[in-house]
Amino acid sequence: MIFDPILDIFRGKAITIPPMDGALKPNTMLDDAPAALEIEAPDNLVSDGRRLLFSTGNRVLALQPGGTPEEIMPLDAAVTALAVSAAGDLAVALDNGKLGILPREGNPRELPAVSGLTCPTALAFDAAGALYVAQGSAKHRASDWTVDLMQKNAEGSVWRIDLAGSGGATCLTQGLGFPNGLLVLKEGHGLIVAESWRHRLIGIPGHGARAPEPVLSKLPGYPARLTPAADGGTWLALFAPRNRLIEFTLLEDVYREQMMREVPREYWIAPALASGTSFLEPLQCGGVKTMGVHKPWSPSRSYGLVVKLDASLRPVASFHSRANGRRHGTTSVTELGGRIYVAARGGNAILALDAEATR
Amino acid sequence: MSEAIVEMRKITKLYRGVPAVKAVDFDLRKGEIHALLGENGAGKSTLTKVLAGVIEATDGTMSWHGKDVSFKTPFEALEQGIAMVFQETSLVPSMTVAQNLYLGSEKFLNRLRGIYISAQQFLQSLNFPVDPTAIVSTLGAAKRQMVEIARAVHHNAEVIIFDEPTASLTPEEKRHFFALMHRLKSRGVSIVFISHALEEALAHADRITVLRDGELVVTGDTKEFDREKIVRAMVGRTLSGEIYNKKRSAAEIRKPGARVLSVQDISMGAVVRNNSFSIYEGQITGVFGLIGSGRTETFKVLSGIYKRDFSRGGDIELHGKPVRYYVPREAVRDGIIYVTEDRKTEGFFETMSIAENLYSAVLAAGLEQRPYISLREMREFARQWTGRLNVKAINDNARVVELSGGNQQKVVIGKGLIQKPKIVIFDEPTRGVDVGAIAEIHQLINRLADEGLAVIVVSSYLPEIMNLSDRILVCRQGRIVEEFAPDEATEEKIMYAAVH
Repeated sequence: MIFDPILDIFRGKAITIPPMDGALKPNTMLDDAPAALEIEAPDNLVSDGRRLLFSTGNRVLALQPGGTPEEIMPLDAAVTALAVSAAGDLAVALDNGKLGILPREGNPRELPAVSGLTCPTALAFDAAGALYVAQGSAKHRASDWTVDLMQKNAEGSVWRIDLAGSGGATCLTQGLGFPNGLLVLKEGHGLIVAESWRHRLIGIPGHGARAPEPVLSKLPGYPARLTPAADGGTWLALFAPRNRLIEFTLLEDVYREQMMREVPREYWIAPALASGTSFLEPLQCGGVKTMGVHKPWSPSRSYGLVVKLDASLRPVASFHSRANGRRHGTTSVTELGGRIYVAARGGNAILALDAEATR
Repeated sequence: MSEAIVEMRKITKLYRGVPAVKAVDFDLRKGEIHALLGENGAGKSTLTKVLAGVIEATDGTMSWHGKDVSFKTPFEALEQGIAMVFQETSLVPSMTVAQNLYLGSEKFLNRLRGIYISAQQFLQSLNFPVDPTAIVSTLGAAKRQMVEIARAVHHNAEVIIFDEPTASLTPEEKRHFFALMHRLKSRGVSIVFISHALEEALAHADRITVLRDGELVVTGDTKEFDREKIVRAMVGRTLSGEIYNKKRSAAEIRKPGARVLSVQDISMGAVVRNNSFSIYEGQITGVFGLIGSGRTETFKVLSGIYKRDFSRGGDIELHGKPVRYYVPREAVRDGIIYVTEDRKTEGFFETMSIAENLYSAVLAAGLEQRPYISLREMREFARQWTGRLNVKAINDNARVVELSGGNQQKVVIGKGLIQKPKIVIFDEPTRGVDVGAIAEIHQLINRLADEGLAVIVVSSYLPEIMNLSDRILVCRQGRIVEEFAPDEATEEKIMYAAVH
């Protein structure tokens, strides 16, 4: 009815979270998966075709399947994003806003600072060698993502840096709610951006002819990195779940501001990469535990979720670490040698799933 | 234990040749609470209706205090001391509570004030907070159930049959009800208690009888049972006909298409509570739930028959756009049709012909633009649809009420399909339908899913859900509580999720 939007003002709107069902039906596959490596806060998994590259804190490491990790280079700030080009060059983004390139052969170089690009959260190369950069926030560092969410900012942007040509940077779109993942489509069809705070993926057309449009909306969590799958689909990592308490907190401005002023950040009612480690954390009583057993369906601040999307970006399968699991904070995923590797940043592990078993 | 006051031997009841109960033995002892358990359609209500004189058995004998009896009417049974409290209350809605209590036992001269005072005293003695002067139609389901129970107790019955008495009661009211049941037992009243809530049976009954597919499976003292044993007895059917014994390979299970419907936290009173699920095109979503689980109400909300809560009633999104239907016509225009479980009341106009019924769907959906109806076109239209649905009738002018249950159901389904749906909700599509028609209806449902429609089958019959569904949702206490893929689902798992 045409009056519904007006009536909604008076009758109130229920806080609704899209259900995890169908292809998103919960399972325990991430908790059941063997760990390829246990290491503190692994993130930014990428593959150069031979080995896995990932970051942990200020370091970038390489891992041969079945081997031990070796450090590629130490950096002066936490690594926020990695990408490998078709030529094998590694792009690195840091929490202090710096961008650098480690060529396949040659010395590392820092890219010139781009005005207005201070919070890189995701990187991707296109076939021509141009580098796409997602900027999560115009106000905060990538590591301050919780603050950006609680302030309800939508000042993210996506940039293109012409590495092969002039080296100039162009802002493709802005006003995004913390873009946190990039996927360059083949044949110049544009790119897909994971917009975390709006729980959706948007498509940016190849030639900038049209405005960005949502391609997958109403995700039940906060989307992070996107990676192409071997079969033509896409892997999407979601780093935290949505739940009603957090959604409610996001509606209550006065309460949220007071919470941010007076409560230490790790105890905010906000999504987290891991939870349940301190008795001071919110969401520990009520329906979370019954007779000492942590219920898998209970509301949680952290979760592990990797979603397989088909070629038309429709979810077809998913792998979970539920509220009672440990492999939470899944920030990135990549495929190498018939295995799917998942970085569980909150679970301090890189997980290896058999690609066949996930079909 | 005292001896049996009621003995039923080899009771069989046929409906149009289809057995509802088959050679069932049942006995009831003095002062016992006897729980009668089974899935929907197991024959529990039929057996107790025979005992209460509502229907006559086709075969078998019944004895009352050792004497052979056969009750022709409920009044005859009531005179002997057997009262039944029905699932759907049989009160007169336009009368007051007190008038209903004394209906049938009025004196020659009645003083209304006197009736109200004695009704008030009687209701208070039962601890039922019901106003005796209230008109029954203004009462909620729970209070109507209380009046129904009070009426049975008021008749000083020796045997009281409760058919799903607690389905509409709140926990507090249930506690009162069970206290009352035990008080009646202590007075020597025998109670037959039909329920889906296994805990209630295990906690309050002295003996338990389980029926399945119209046959007696087991009778025994409650201490011999536990939850698993009852569930196994309820669902462990040996043969449910060829229709339900097909095993589907993984390739036969349809993959989900696009998400067409997203339901998020919809609520409607205490019946539907924060219910969330999605529906995908090109597959059949089976929804299983026992009576009172809110499954029918949920889908009636989706199709505009019921309204969700006005305030904070949740969100329904059709193809990503929020919708809120105030009447079914709006849902029909958006391509959502609901094929009712109660076809006699909601499914067709029984005094109208097949052709008129089918054409009424065209008019309801607004598909007829002309200001007049061409009878010739209407008959031709009906002929096409009756042929397509294989409706067996003398001709299209036959009244729907004259058809068999299966053919009536085909007409009801046809009425829905005429409206060019995108989402079809079948609620108990094969209830009261013969086996031949069941197979045809199942074929039709499968064909619709193959054509890419989003199909929802709501059923309380587990083999039907297992046989048809590409995805199984289980509803309990007003919400979807579990989802199963067909290859992982077993009848035990589904039933466990539905009752646990």
